[in-house]
Amino acid sequence: MFLQVVDLVKDFGGVVANNHISFDIDQGEIIGLIGPNGAGKTTLFNCIVGYHKPDSGKVIFKGKEITGFKPFMTNREGIGRTFQITKVTAGMTVLENVMVGAFCRTDQRPIAKKEALEVLGFLRLENVKDYHLNELPIASQKKVGLARALATKPELLMLDEVASGLNPKETEEMVDVLKRIHQEKKITLFLIEHVMEVVMPISQRVIVLDSGEKIAAGLPEEIVKNERVIKAYLGEKYAKGFRD
Amino acid sequence: METLRDAFDFSDFSKAERIGLGLFTIFLLVFPWLGAGSFVKAVMIQFLLFSLFGMGWNTIGGYGGQVELGKAQYVGIGAYTVALMMVWWKIPFWVSMPVGVLIAIGYSFMIGYPLFRLKGHYFAIATICTSLVLQDIFINWKLVGAAKGIELPIHDHPDFLFMQFKSDVYYFYFIMALFYAGLFYMNWFRKSKLGYQLRMIKEDEDAAESLGIDARWCKIKAYSIASAFVAVGGGFMAVYNLYIDPYSVMDLDLSIKIALMAMLGGAGSMWGPIIGAAFLIPLDRFLGSWLGGQKGLIGVDFMIYAAMIMVVSAYQPRGIWGIIEQFRRKGA
Ligand SMILES: Nc1ncnc2c1ncn2[C@@H]1O[C@H](COP(=O)(O)OP(=O)(O)OP(=O)(O)O)[C@@H](O)[C@H]1O
Ligand SMILES: [Mg+2]
Repeated sequence: MFLQVVDLVKDFGGVVANNHISFDIDQGEIIGLIGPNGAGKTTLFNCIVGYHKPDSGKVIFKGKEITGFKPFMTNREGIGRTFQITKVTAGMTVLENVMVGAFCRTDQRPIAKKEALEVLGFLRLENVKDYHLNELPIASQKKVGLARALATKPELLMLDEVASGLNPKETEEMVDVLKRIHQEKKITLFLIEHVMEVVMPISQRVIVLDSGEKIAAGLPEEIVKNERVIKAYLGEKYAKGFRD
Repeated sequence: METLRDAFDFSDFSKAERIGLGLFTIFLLVFPWLGAGSFVKAVMIQFLLFSLFGMGWNTIGGYGGQVELGKAQYVGIGAYTVALMMVWWKIPFWVSMPVGVLIAIGYSFMIGYPLFRLKGHYFAIATICTSLVLQDIFINWKLVGAAKGIELPIHDHPDFLFMQFKSDVYYFYFIMALFYAGLFYMNWFRKSKLGYQLRMIKEDEDAAESLGIDARWCKIKAYSIASAFVAVGGGFMAVYNLYIDPYSVMDLDLSIKIALMAMLGGAGSMWGPIIGAAFLIPLDRFLGSWLGGQKGLIGVDFMIYAAMIMVVSAYQPRGIWGIIEQFRRKGA
């Protein structure tokens, strides 16, 4: 088993953001995580990568228990992540940002630079490499977050709403990028997404959270027909659209 | 080897910066022969010394973005080690100075480990407190001279081993050598893995952690590098002034001046601490000779510094160097 989450609980003193959540992810999969606002999706990510300490339950990655590991430790184990909100900073260029990711695996600046440029090429960001984050449009900011994480050479990449705030064309491009990351770099993807056009076509399986509970899990086509999911989240309209 | 070359490679700076550095170096080399009076020479020595302090502070404070206000305790450690080893055991400067640096590094790890559990204002206040505590200990510690401090025995002939010279020129070239050692180190540091990681921590600590960076450990490392830098300067102060006490080498004033100069000049930039010292040291000396002993008492100096830092940072948080860069970018 690649990633195993067992009976995970996170209680923010009253708000139970994750209530006994269990699921597995196999290597090479693309898994979607959906649910309404405040469902506990980001919290679940944070518990896995170590920004929060779960109150109980276990996280096992590649057979090793990593519950309670610090974020830098889970990254060194091979888990990369992006953030729902990219902090827009002005102190480092795009290239430098991505080099920091690459420095995770090397001490040599020339090597870090070479690898960073490779990643930037892969994401078609070469032309903005000397800009600062605050000088870029949202779509590029999101891609830089992705590039930085990719440069750490993760085996599992966890993406928190990487397509939110993008226009249809940018969204399409992002879907394409995700597919290429999965196929060419052989990275397992675990993505939180509100944009159904992103999550449904590429996910092999989908997990649904609502008010801290896992209310469903399964193939995308099963999920859209699931009564509880429709009620809690999707709404009739989308379910119909998907069937047509 | 690749990385060693980084220390002497200034090729990523603009032509203007490189020419500026070259002219500045030539100026420093000939300065003692320009016929400046002893007051001006002393100001120059202070300027180089505080540039060295500022460069050290810049690792943790500038690149790492941590408001560190306790560097004086490490100046003190460097100065006291040199002074005491000479007074007690007649150990030459060239041995005692490195020992002082090692003690400073050891101490900085000890202090840094708990210190960097804190963040933001709590961290800043804690750095002040640790320095005040050490100063208090020295003020009351009979064995090390308590509040009276220590006088270094004066040799009646120049002595290279103990760095005692009649003429200021030797001290000038010596602090200049230390200044350039610091400058080359910083030129290496800013391109090192740790340099990049610290800048990322300053930008966005959560993101840094997600990229495999142990933020706390990086900060501790940078903190001890900064401490080593200022301990070298402290050792210099002992042999240059031939007298130290807890007020001259461990005071809060000193900690604040070090941080303030670097911030005024431009925290997190190569030239910032040097520019800051070039502004504040002459000003400081001028105020000192103008107001005499009252300067510290009435706090005019800090009122002026505070006003300067407020004006500059309201306009450009990255200090004077930030303003210069801003204009350069507009011009380009
Ligand atoms: N650090 C925190 N302290 C206290 N409560 C928190 C904290 N983080 C999240 N919560 C609460 O936990 C619940 C789940 O939040 P979470 O951010 O995980 O939701 P989400 O599914 O990611 O929502 P969104 O789609 O809006 O991003 C919310 O009720 C939120 O207010
Ligand atoms: Mg969220």
